Amino acid sequence: MTERFTGHGAEWRDSNLSPSEAKIATSWVEQKIDKRSMLTNKERVEDVRDLMWQLEKDGEIVVHRVSDEHQPVMVKTLYGWDKKIPTRRLWHHKSCGQCGNIPGYPASLLWLMNRLEVEYLDETDQTSCTAWNYHGSGIGNLESLAAVFLRNFHQAYVSAQAQGLPPAYYYPLVHCGTSFGNYKEVRGYLLRSAKLRERVRQILGKLGRLVDGKLLIPEEVVHYSEWLHVIRERIAAMREIDCSHIRATVHPACHVYKMVPEDAIYDDTVLGGNRLAVTTSVMQALGTQVIDYSTWYDCCGFGFRHIISEREFTRSFAIDRKIRVAIDEAQADVMVGHDTGCITTLDKNQWIGKAAGKEVDLPVLADCQFAALVCGAHPYKIVQSHWHASSTETLMEKLGIDWEAKKAEFVGYLEEVKAGKQENLYDPRRMLTSGPGFIPISKRP
Amino acid sequence: MSHAESTRVQTVIGDPVAEGAPLPRAKLEEIFADIQSDLRFDHELNGCLNCGICTATCPAAHYYDFSPREIVQLLWTENLEGIYDAMQEKIWACAQCYTCAARCPFGNSPGGLVMLMRETAIKHQMPSAKAVLRPFSRVMLKLISTGNQLAPDMITRDHFADWGPNVSKIDAPLKLLRQAIPMPTLNTTATAWEVNLKTSVELYTIWEETGVLKQLEGIDENLFDVINDIMDEKREDWKDFLADQQESEGGKDD
Repeated sequence: MTERFTGHGAEWRDSNLSPSEAKIATSWVEQKIDKRSMLTNKERVEDVRDLMWQLEKDGEIVVHRVSDEHQPVMVKTLYGWDKKIPTRRLWHHKSCGQCGNIPGYPASLLWLMNRLEVEYLDETDQTSCTAWNYHGSGIGNLESLAAVFLRNFHQAYVSAQAQGLPPAYYYPLVHCGTSFGNYKEVRGYLLRSAKLRERVRQILGKLGRLVDGKLLIPEEVVHYSEWLHVIRERIAAMREIDCSHIRATVHPACHVYKMVPEDAIYDDTVLGGNRLAVTTSVMQALGTQVIDYSTWYDCCGFGFRHIISEREFTRSFAIDRKIRVAIDEAQADVMVGHDTGCITTLDKNQWIGKAAGKEVDLPVLADCQFAALVCGAHPYKIVQSHWHASSTETLMEKLGIDWEAKKAEFVGYLEEVKAGKQENLYDPRRMLTSGPGFIPISKRP
Repeated sequence: MSHAESTRVQTVIGDPVAEGAPLPRAKLEEIFADIQSDLRFDHELNGCLNCGICTATCPAAHYYDFSPREIVQLLWTENLEGIYDAMQEKIWACAQCYTCAARCPFGNSPGGLVMLMRETAIKHQMPSAKAVLRPFSRVMLKLISTGNQLAPDMITRDHFADWGPNVSKIDAPLKLLRQAIPMPTLNTTATAWEVNLKTSVELYTIWEETGVLKQLEGIDENLFDVINDIMDEKREDWKDFLADQQESEGGKDD
């Protein structure tokens, strides 16, 4: 006879539960270990879009809709709510950090759109969201953030008129994670506060940025990574380079999923729905091995203020909490992200590790850059990998890309650029929609 | 009853470590009233059990004498001296990642509360705010006068020596490398993208109307003057453009 003992004491009796009863009895354990529950176990969460539709019904605002013409794809957010992601006729709301510092980031995105024949507008009439400055310095306030948000989104709404097309033709696609988080937060406050609406209505009126005398609010605030997420299978179908041997780590951006977390996309087919879906889903669709690591949830160390004036914190955090962990635990070949500050921080802050005996070497790219690269985009003309401080060359070698030959091609191409023969992703005349240099469509030859 | 009158900790137990009030009581109350009067205050602060999840998950808490839990507690208990003390240095340690907000079981946003305190520190022209923001003047000049926070010509070896020996791995003039970016809006060096003149002028109106320029004047008067001059010029340019437009439209009517 097999000896059995439990150590629970004489009073213990087997409950003899059936498997289904046992599951019910222990379901709280699953809830506890569900990482998503850290974000969802809240009592007071409202969907501000309900307020938005009511305000429109009351005649107080106009909603810029994601219409059928934008060919939306429906996704589920953290709380299981629906979110509409437009897939075409997109107005690029650029990121100052990406355009200033990592230009291959937006260029790769536009290149993918060209390949997929997605209509878009990249124009000059837009400002930064100003939220990087606000979160870093405290200069700015809720009213200024709200007015900038509404001004830029109003321009997206009317922009097509410069091409002789109707308003609402293009839908804004936000490139920066901080802009995305900030705009969503500000939209929430605008929908909740009559006082804030009245104050910014006066300002927007002065700028001529009202629609029928009303504030224009977007139905959805959409981040480019969400577009990439819903279109991932079409991108995967364009893949030219096998990347199934690549061990990829994902760094999710705080302002994409920790600010207004209820609006972030979660998908039961991506990491069991326990974590943010975007980017991971794209890397999986492309065929890479997405490897988990213990500090997945940590920020990158950007800090908004710190990246400018207190980089000891930024580089220490980036190296110790992200890069080294991804290398040691996940043996990663690449770290992929979806936000301006994160890519900058994780990419630029590796070199200095040598000074502290913490030598690290991990290529860092944005998801759309990686996608473009394996879909055959030129590593220098399009992906612009020369602006990256991390060793993107190592990754290219693992992908079988002869980066030295490509680099030489690009250096040769610079001579053509000097002669004014640069290649563009779109007709440069489209970038002006008003002001000096703009030629109305009716007057164009 | 106003919050300024209901300082429970101060009234009942006082501050056991303070040697003396750093500022007259009325001034401390004024500072707290400014934080509390922001319409976001009640949204960001719902209560606190001192569980410390926020601090456990806070990146700044790893490296600084900073705890989001402490910030929430100071505001929740209306500890006016403690709030003032935290505004001298601690609030500037926060990395603004909002991990604390995403995880707080009460739905508090310690990161959001820090922003209200930073805005108030600037409004009251606290020396701490001035000192902390000094390195930001280049960024603010760029953002306020152009609409772009970061520009390619700001990324230099002098300013970012710790980023490595090369700004670009291809040795060519910045202007040429920027021209080789296949997005025409990005063929710039002084701004991240080409910003329409009208856009800058509109943004400046927003800064004026929302009191941001006043904030800036209080923190850095010289910078404020420089920005004013630049924007006066831009406004003139825009007026000239509109006048030219009108003239050419009028000419055609004739």
